[in-house]
Amino acid sequence: MTQTQAKARTLPDVLKDEARLPSIPEPAVIVIFGASGDLTARKLVPALYDLAQGRRLPMQFAIVGLSRTEMSHDEFRERLREALEKHRSGRFSDDVWESFSRGIFYLSGDSKKPETYRELKGFLGELDEERKTRGNRIFYLSASPSLFSTIVERLGEAGMNEGEEGGYARLVIEKPFGRDLASAKELNADIQRYFEEGQIYRIDHYLGKETVQNILALRFSNGIFEPVWNQHYVDHVQITVAEDLGVGTRGAFYEEAGALRDIVQNHVMQVLCLTAMEPPVAFDAESVREEKVKVLKAARPIPEGEVDQYAVRGQYASGWVWGEEVDGYREEEKVAPDSTTETYVALKVFVDNWRWAGTPFYIRTGKRLPKKATEIAIQFHPTPHTPFTREGTEGLEPNVLVVRVQPEEGISLKIGAKVPGSGFQVSSVNMDLVYGTAFLEEAPDAYQRLLLDLMLGDPTLFIRADEAEGAWRILEPVMRAWSGEREIPSYPAGTWGPEEADELLRRDGRRWRRP
Amino acid sequence: MIGESRSAPRGGAMSVEEIERELARLRANEDGTLSLRASVLNLIVVTDEGSAEDVTRSVSELAGRYPSRAIVLICDPGESETRLDIGLSAFCNIRGGTGGTQVCAEQVTVHAEGPPAHHLESLAGPLLIPDLPTFLWYPGHFSPRSPEFAAMATLVDRVILDSAASRDAEVSLGELAGLIGEEGTPAVGDLQWVALSPWRTLLAELFGSPERAGALDEVYRVEVLYGPGGESRAHLLVGWLATTLGWRLRAATRLGARAGGGHRLHFLGPVGEVIVAMDPNSPDAKLRRVRLYSEELSFQVSRHRELREARATVMRGEDLIGERTVHLGTFDLGVLVGEELRYRGRDEVYEAALITAARILSR
Repeated sequence: MTQTQAKARTLPDVLKDEARLPSIPEPAVIVIFGASGDLTARKLVPALYDLAQGRRLPMQFAIVGLSRTEMSHDEFRERLREALEKHRSGRFSDDVWESFSRGIFYLSGDSKKPETYRELKGFLGELDEERKTRGNRIFYLSASPSLFSTIVERLGEAGMNEGEEGGYARLVIEKPFGRDLASAKELNADIQRYFEEGQIYRIDHYLGKETVQNILALRFSNGIFEPVWNQHYVDHVQITVAEDLGVGTRGAFYEEAGALRDIVQNHVMQVLCLTAMEPPVAFDAESVREEKVKVLKAARPIPEGEVDQYAVRGQYASGWVWGEEVDGYREEEKVAPDSTTETYVALKVFVDNWRWAGTPFYIRTGKRLPKKATEIAIQFHPTPHTPFTREGTEGLEPNVLVVRVQPEEGISLKIGAKVPGSGFQVSSVNMDLVYGTAFLEEAPDAYQRLLLDLMLGDPTLFIRADEAEGAWRILEPVMRAWSGEREIPSYPAGTWGPEEADELLRRDGRRWRRP
Repeated sequence: MIGESRSAPRGGAMSVEEIERELARLRANEDGTLSLRASVLNLIVVTDEGSAEDVTRSVSELAGRYPSRAIVLICDPGESETRLDIGLSAFCNIRGGTGGTQVCAEQVTVHAEGPPAHHLESLAGPLLIPDLPTFLWYPGHFSPRSPEFAAMATLVDRVILDSAASRDAEVSLGELAGLIGEEGTPAVGDLQWVALSPWRTLLAELFGSPERAGALDEVYRVEVLYGPGGESRAHLLVGWLATTLGWRLRAATRLGARAGGGHRLHFLGPVGEVIVAMDPNSPDAKLRRVRLYSEELSFQVSRHRELREARATVMRGEDLIGERTVHLGTFDLGVLVGEELRYRGRDEVYEAALITAARILSR
């Protein structure tokens, strides 16, 4: 090796080229706004701790928590440690924590006041000196959404929308991205006044789940599905995101949000996009997000006067789930006794493009359904003609390919097979492949994956501004129609939703699958 | 994960068809349902009677992470009488919690004595599941000159070895270096190299920031402290540093017992001489500590006491200017082999490090 070659290839350079070893992000500071909140202790810091323990963080890394609660650095560290020990029993190491926690700091301050940002800026400058974090900043907005615009404005005014001395500045926003299309646009405009779109990382942890990413792997790494993945072969698609839990302690939040804003606008729309999108030319941020946005653009607007033909909502009443009698939504903590907030949504969506013209996508999500399940069911057209007798094909149904996201990630294909014996009787058989069983690698937590991508500067699994707005645009007529209604259909907890949802499909001569 | 081990009642000599039929029968549950077979690879293991039990345990652990068909060949070619004895078992795990799906991985154990032990490929070949990558693992001493290896190599995509399994690292690394140079040899993976991965990541990361990257050019001394069984690992590490940083070996001196043993190596780096002191006197860990000295700074990665943690530090004189403690990971046999099963192709970085390590030891 020549002298020049040797100089060009340092140990870190070589490691970057080695597929067998992981990429380590550049040094950085992550500033968490709303750091005294639940998300920091329960998700963010445990994910960062796991990354540190697993040698995925640089030595020069720091966390700065910021919120109004008065606390010292040590009190903040102690609080995080307690949460970690609780959630990481058996996987917690005192030595790793000692090393990791030396990089954790806390500032108390009002995120509305400019002086907080002057103090923060000075503190980050000191960290650059002491911990060599090189001016790279990540601002994680885990505060109340009502503060997002103000925090961004203050960051911009303080000149913190750019990294120091050639470093980067990135902004992370937790969902919900607005409450409707107008507020989403306003929020995006507020943020983009100070930050370029390339600096903004809108996080929907659903996309960090391995199982959700596997939808792309299934579609675009297996040649056999793509030729039939269109309106020529597919009769309709059913997307189900079901939860067996109720709202629990999140009653106050849920009263404001409802299933449409909490799940459909983000998680369900993401699954719809991944199911319906065209193959991206590369698995990079722009290619993937561009294709997702095209799906949202192609979604047919729901006519204002016909919302009930396309959308159904419901609210769970008391009932039985997995052997336990549970309260109805209106009896839950911090829920109004006459609440009309929806805990169930079913929609019929058409994606008007060449691939999907005329093929309905039936979407449903709900709380207190019989089981937790997320799946995409592709129901194919029946055979145009069968040579077998009608009696012989009574048990035969059209082919269905089900992509199960959770639980038991895998696919099942319903196919017709001959029943053994004399005569020719054909019946449907499920061919079930639990492909999650093939790899028992421990899947990283969604936040771990997304925080690492964020530090590596890869926004592929984050939401772009037009994606967030596109999803709101589809739901806008539904929200408008429902906002004026005083009545809401109910369904007993532990059932698959209100009767009106069954009727939505029955009108089209179809029925919901039982996941 | 709940698992159960199922064994076929019969054994002895069986045909391939009988083996397949019996394996399918093992997947049948008491309630009449059939457990799934999930397979991502074929794993052939060549071992001897003494190690068979440990190997079988590791294979069953691996079955959880990499459901496969494992073909364990326990051979004794020294016997004059021919003996062929087949044992079948399945490791079935319930995935997805209570009420979840039973998924089984299979193991075919073949005891071969006498002439068949020289033709293991004729036993392993027909038992491979088609269309899946095939790995050949030698848990114990391996020599590319062993009678069955050449024919077995044609069946497989990757060979997994342990360069520390032989007592003589010089012979072991030398033979491996020779093997990778031969045309048609499958990709080679070495468990000692896998065990070095966290060390390499930590060392590289010490120089990750621009203000420290320049110190790499100024490294003039390296100290490696290793212990019993760590000779191969330590030399691979030095081989990696040398090939990566463009150091050329000028001299290697083997120190006598009175001087503590080990090696003193003289390299010529891009900007000057680099001395590497290899000290084999660690009382505990196979690889205990690596230190690099540059003009201003010293860099160290060391195992943290007897725990799973490692500590990486950067010092300026006596001042600590950077530190982190991380999990080094576990080095159980099953974990190391599992890491190797993740990869398919040739590892050119390893091959370059191996060649340099072998060259050092041959001096």
